[in-house]
Amino acid sequence: MTETIIAVKELSKNYRVPVRSEGLMSSLKSLVHPSYSQVKAVEDLNFEIGVGEMVGLIGPNGAGKTTTLKMLSGLLYPTAGEVRVAGYVPWERRPEYLRKISIVLGNKSQMLWDIPSMDSFRVLSEIYMVPEQEFRRTLDDLIDLLDMKDLLTKPVRNLSLGERMKCELTASLLYRPALLFLDEPTLGLDVSMQLRLRQFLKEYNRRNEVTVILTSHYMADVQALCPRVILIHYGKLLYDGALDGLARRLAPFKLIKITLDQKNGKTFQNFNQPDDKVELLEHEENRYVLRVEREQVPSLTARLLQSNSVTDLSIEDPPIEAVMDQIYTGGAA
Amino acid sequence: MRFFRLISQFIKVSFEEESAYRVNFAISLLTSLLTVGSAALSISVVFGQVDHVQGWTYASTLVVLGVYLIMNALRSLFINPGLESLAGMDGEVWTGKFDFSLLRPVDTQFMVTFRKWRLFSLIDLFFGVLVTGIAIYRMEASVSIGQILLFCLMICSGLAILYAILLFFSSLVFWSPAVMFTWVFNGILQLARYPLSMYPGWLRFILTWIVPVGIITTFPAQALTGELTVKVVILGIGLAVSLVILASCLFRRALRHYSSASS
Amino acid sequence: MKNPGWALMRGFWLSWLQYRSFLFILAFGWMIPPLIYMLVWMMVAGSQGIAGFSQGEFVAYYLVLILVNQITYAQTNWTVGDMIRVGEMNRILMRPIAPVYDPLASEIACKIIYLFFDVPLVIVLALILKPQFHIDFTEAALFIPALLAAWALRFLWGYWLALLAFWATKADALLVLQDTLVFLLGGQVAPVLLLPDWMGRLATALPFRYMVAFPVEILTGQVTGTAVLHGFLIQAGWLALAYILTMILWKNGVRRYGAVGG
Repeated sequence: MTETIIAVKELSKNYRVPVRSEGLMSSLKSLVHPSYSQVKAVEDLNFEIGVGEMVGLIGPNGAGKTTTLKMLSGLLYPTAGEVRVAGYVPWERRPEYLRKISIVLGNKSQMLWDIPSMDSFRVLSEIYMVPEQEFRRTLDDLIDLLDMKDLLTKPVRNLSLGERMKCELTASLLYRPALLFLDEPTLGLDVSMQLRLRQFLKEYNRRNEVTVILTSHYMADVQALCPRVILIHYGKLLYDGALDGLARRLAPFKLIKITLDQKNGKTFQNFNQPDDKVELLEHEENRYVLRVEREQVPSLTARLLQSNSVTDLSIEDPPIEAVMDQIYTGGAA
Repeated sequence: MRFFRLISQFIKVSFEEESAYRVNFAISLLTSLLTVGSAALSISVVFGQVDHVQGWTYASTLVVLGVYLIMNALRSLFINPGLESLAGMDGEVWTGKFDFSLLRPVDTQFMVTFRKWRLFSLIDLFFGVLVTGIAIYRMEASVSIGQILLFCLMICSGLAILYAILLFFSSLVFWSPAVMFTWVFNGILQLARYPLSMYPGWLRFILTWIVPVGIITTFPAQALTGELTVKVVILGIGLAVSLVILASCLFRRALRHYSSASS
Repeated sequence: MKNPGWALMRGFWLSWLQYRSFLFILAFGWMIPPLIYMLVWMMVAGSQGIAGFSQGEFVAYYLVLILVNQITYAQTNWTVGDMIRVGEMNRILMRPIAPVYDPLASEIACKIIYLFFDVPLVIVLALILKPQFHIDFTEAALFIPALLAAWALRFLWGYWLALLAFWATKADALLVLQDTLVFLLGGQVAPVLLLPDWMGRLATALPFRYMVAFPVEILTGQVTGTAVLHGFLIQAGWLALAYILTMILWKNGVRRYGAVGG
């Protein structure tokens, strides 16, 4: 049983948000009389995270993921509830606590723009009081892992988005924090760079037991990196556990893809029985994609195979994006 | 001592950022020369038509200008760049990067004050001292070491007052991100180029008691012209200390506001 | 098809309107130098006046100067330079309308808002300080063309300077240079007539006077007769040069664009 490093109890956050609508008249109105509304960003969250875990915070836009992340890192005061990270109260922002955490914001850079990244690293090492030898060693490790040797001397503004992200990660890990908060880290990166970053994070987590909290819109990130996800929707915690468990619980379907033998002239409709809970998703000539409830899969598959008309059959889990989309738009049970 | 190490890192990095732009170098020098030149020229244009205004001659007005230039140079050396990086047009509060700074294990006010340096302002500082020196010479007044020390003391307290006012305005940015209070203040500060008595009475009052920019240039100038009294020195230092404390409190309040409202 | 320029302007206006205080403060900042010198010259003139100018005439001159300076001030050039440096130019170049519409649209939209702030203030100041005008109406009619030409000149002049950002990424120091020269030779420190000889001659030859002071001088009757004609000629000459420079730099700059953050 790993030691708990993050403990969240009944965490809530409300905001006062200015209300503005479009058009010239309302702009003029808001000049004189701005109006606000109360928004419950996060409501009554409870969870615990152990040392070295990699956890994904998922949920649709505006669900409260970033708000939660900000409260965990110490950027935001909650309206109610308790948080302990590494034994500290995050929003007190004690220097000892701040030296233990690191944050990477996907679309914002913490690097100094006009000079080589190496210079930014030096300043950071001074700010975080990293001894010279340790700094050298850690930097060499990271340069190796991220393949960054040529990037150190180029001004950051001349780097591509992917190269800049490598610098961001280096900067954030220079002082070997115990916790890494990542807010949309792969935003805007190309596919191969996303893959490399995921590999890096996984490897780094394995070697250094860094606890990683990640928010991402790319389900591929979450799938690849986070054995555990916390689903936040409308500010509430809806699910806390493994990702495929979520899919299984909220979308108990499987996809059956079949190719029928054209010689027989049979179509799928021949096999469908009235009380089957089967939905035809796609149909192209003699290829069909069916969505079938889990319990039905064995019997339907058996029926199909016995018919001698099926030349190809595969059974798959529905893509995680589709599941999440259903949850986000439909709300989960 | 860690603070000194940090500051020297900040200076080093700022210097590198500044040197990253080669064209900027020469143009900055030109701009400095222009600023001083045009300021002195402006005064000579005014005094080209008269010999004295309200008891101030060309030379004594030049002293005030010299002090103004020195103040401005010191302010542009580190206070301005730092606060601009926080609250200015491209500042962290505007771009959302302030979160990074808030999570650094260094006092935020310290960082925001000392982390950006514009070493070029040392050239402006030189010109300011030069102008002040020339003005004193033209006034044919003799200046003792004691007066010079007092002058430096008044410069420091004036700078502290200036810092407090700027910090105050920068803090306001947390409540209303799109407003550039410092720009307003810069405009008002321009008034301090000229001796206060050149302005009508109501303005003189405002510049002494409401937005004390007059004090920032007048007191150090008076140290050199020999009109400074002990009472004024104590007033200057007292004002400096209390304003800095007040502004720092507001800044911390602003951070608390940011941490409860950012979305 | 609606005029795309208007759509842009409206878009700018709506978003800028929400940052109204930002713009008011900018306008306030630009007013201060003329106000300072107005006060100083008023003090210098006293009750007897100086060099043929009475207190009231200084007030008149500077109040008009404030408005003219506002109307001709080319602030968008700061943003053009920044657009190039930060790499936003791509977005602008991708639009189906000429790139100059962008700074033009924001220019016009903003000026309207600035004037909302300036005009009432100037009126209040006029009521308090009582300016003295000597206007010859026929000559004063030339104020409008002089003003328009002054705006065009200042806009284009700043534009080509800002385009230098295609080559040297931080060129806004040059714009500071321009502001200084406008300040000294454009009639802000003192009416051009009161400048020492050598400065006065420089002011007449260089473009800066024609960006601000010239229209003011026409309206307040400081220049009359052939001097007005000479002024227009010199103004037109500088305007042509500014236009040519802008075109050349634009063509070459867009070609070169791409190395920085694009």
